[in-house]
Amino acid sequence: MLAISTSHLSKTYTSGFRGKRQVNALQDFSLEVESGQIFSLLGPNGAGKTTFIKILLSLTRQTGGSATILDHDVSDVQARVKTGYLPENHRYPGYLTGEQVLRSFGPLSEVTGPLLQSRTTTLLELVGLKDWRNVKVKKYSKGMMQRLGLAQAMINDPDLLFLDEPTDGVDPVGRAEIRDLLRNLKTRGKTIFLNSHLLSEVEMISDRVAILDKGQLLRVGTVDELTTSGERHHIGIDGVLPEAFRLEAAAKVIEFSQSQSSLTVDVGSIAELNALIDMLRRHHVPIVSIAKERSTLEESFLSLIKREVAS
Amino acid sequence: MKLLALIRLTLRELAAKATIIILAAISTIVLLGLAAAFSTNVTPDGMMLQLFGQQASPVMPEEQLITAIRSMQAGLAGGLFTGIILFGIFATAGVIPDALEKGTVDLYLSKPIARWELLLGKYLGALVAIFVNVLYFMVGAWLIFGLKCHLWDFQILLATLTITFMFACLYAIVAFLAVLTRNTAVSIILVYLYLFVVGPLLHNREATLYLISENTVYRSIVDGFYYVFPQLDAMRASGAKQLLAQEMDWKPFVQSLLSASVFFFGGAVMLKRRDF
Ligand SMILES: Nc1ncnc2c1ncn2[C@@H]1O[C@H](COP(=O)(O)OP(=O)(O)OP(=O)(O)O)[C@@H](O)[C@H]1O
Ligand SMILES: [Mg+2]
Repeated sequence: MLAISTSHLSKTYTSGFRGKRQVNALQDFSLEVESGQIFSLLGPNGAGKTTFIKILLSLTRQTGGSATILDHDVSDVQARVKTGYLPENHRYPGYLTGEQVLRSFGPLSEVTGPLLQSRTTTLLELVGLKDWRNVKVKKYSKGMMQRLGLAQAMINDPDLLFLDEPTDGVDPVGRAEIRDLLRNLKTRGKTIFLNSHLLSEVEMISDRVAILDKGQLLRVGTVDELTTSGERHHIGIDGVLPEAFRLEAAAKVIEFSQSQSSLTVDVGSIAELNALIDMLRRHHVPIVSIAKERSTLEESFLSLIKREVAS
Repeated sequence: MKLLALIRLTLRELAAKATIIILAAISTIVLLGLAAAFSTNVTPDGMMLQLFGQQASPVMPEEQLITAIRSMQAGLAGGLFTGIILFGIFATAGVIPDALEKGTVDLYLSKPIARWELLLGKYLGALVAIFVNVLYFMVGAWLIFGLKCHLWDFQILLATLTITFMFACLYAIVAFLAVLTRNTAVSIILVYLYLFVVGPLLHNREATLYLISENTVYRSIVDGFYYVFPQLDAMRASGAKQLLAQEMDWKPFVQSLLSASVFFFGGAVMLKRRDF
């Protein structure tokens, strides 16, 4: 089942006198997110990430295309019964305590009575606010607000959870806790849609990632797909390369570079890689390791965005 | 259910603000003053009103005194209405702009609530707060007049409904302005501008706006504007009649209900179209 499906979505904000200023926040954006996944949307500031979530939750209307969440059109109120949302700059009434926030907002998601009571207790414990539940929200620190926001987003045990910068302002221990929480939700079959700038974190938990820039989808795929760059391999060897090997490689136009005890090669296929290994063995070169080159998500992200800027 | 939750949240918000508490405090002071100062006294020739134990009216037969007391009640209700308009609007005008503020509106609208439902919940929340305040004052006044003058007039309790209704009509304009401007201060200024300048000019248009031109088109436009807005003055006059136990005129109430519905509907349509 698809948790999110959008097709040719576009959004142009018009503002200023007689709509003079226009911003294309999203352009021809088509995306599908399978349910039961942790999906992350990455992109520079102003790329349109929040706009995308806002369209899915009907906070903003798209100017073109269509979008469904949990098999409902986004304009359908029912679509939001089983969704949760942690907005990027959420504000709760300062005069309420953490517990009162959950108890006041729960009924708006159709959660009431003893269920609301028990969820409130469990969630406050889960996000580590148990000791703060009777303290007024205005006295909360930024990280505590974020934790409360997360609890609030989960009050209706949503099947689809939208989190806009969920770990913003949260300490490292808290972040690790939130990651565990999200993985746990995933094992329960929930879908999590994440906007984040913390790429190392995204890399740790996401099943799939999409990269957005200036309203356009640049790439979408698994973390593996986005971080492996072509067919570059590092082959670790023991000892020195015999001259005969160099000559044969030169004759067969195999290019490689060598640094101490490692060869780096760009191969067109697995067969080519194996041919090279065979050749090394024929020349009695001991092979210690073979590794496919892998960049971090951050490196891939930066090079992708740079390429985009250049073009 | 969701509407009730919205109303409850709004009431909580208002209770957390000092303004609505001050409104209740003023009511209490006026009631206490009334209870302390006002009494009636029976003399062999008839009855009279007393203020702080001093004779405040000529001795008169009972029916006449009742009429006098009723006019007093009408004056009191009129005063309360003015107070509610001035202070009640001030106390509640922030409810809708606050709900539409960035960071808060996201929380509300990401829930399975329609936008008109949010507007209605906030509107009714403010209305309930005002209703409770007016009811408190009116029940107090009813008890004081009942205990001190043995006049248990029901009309004064009914005036709670009339005053709340009039406030509801005015608050529909506030809701419209709140969605339009998303700014509490601007909404208050505009609604006061209507109350103190535009409203009275339209109400007394024969003596004011009509003088500008004799053109019939112009005059019908002015008339049109008059009927677009709730007829507060006409309702107020009719409400006073209610307290004097006279026949009420329902026409302004019906017209104002229609007008308020249009304002509310206009606000809801604007809200539906807005991007957050
Ligand atoms: N309500 C609005 N009116 C006009 N323009 C807007 C509005 N909201 C967003 N924009 C514009 O749309 C573009 C995308 O904004 P958006 O908030 O979606 O970015 P983002 O990817 O979430 O950025 P960030 O990483 O900073 O949160 C930006 O250029 C922004 O200026
Ligand atoms: Mg954003």
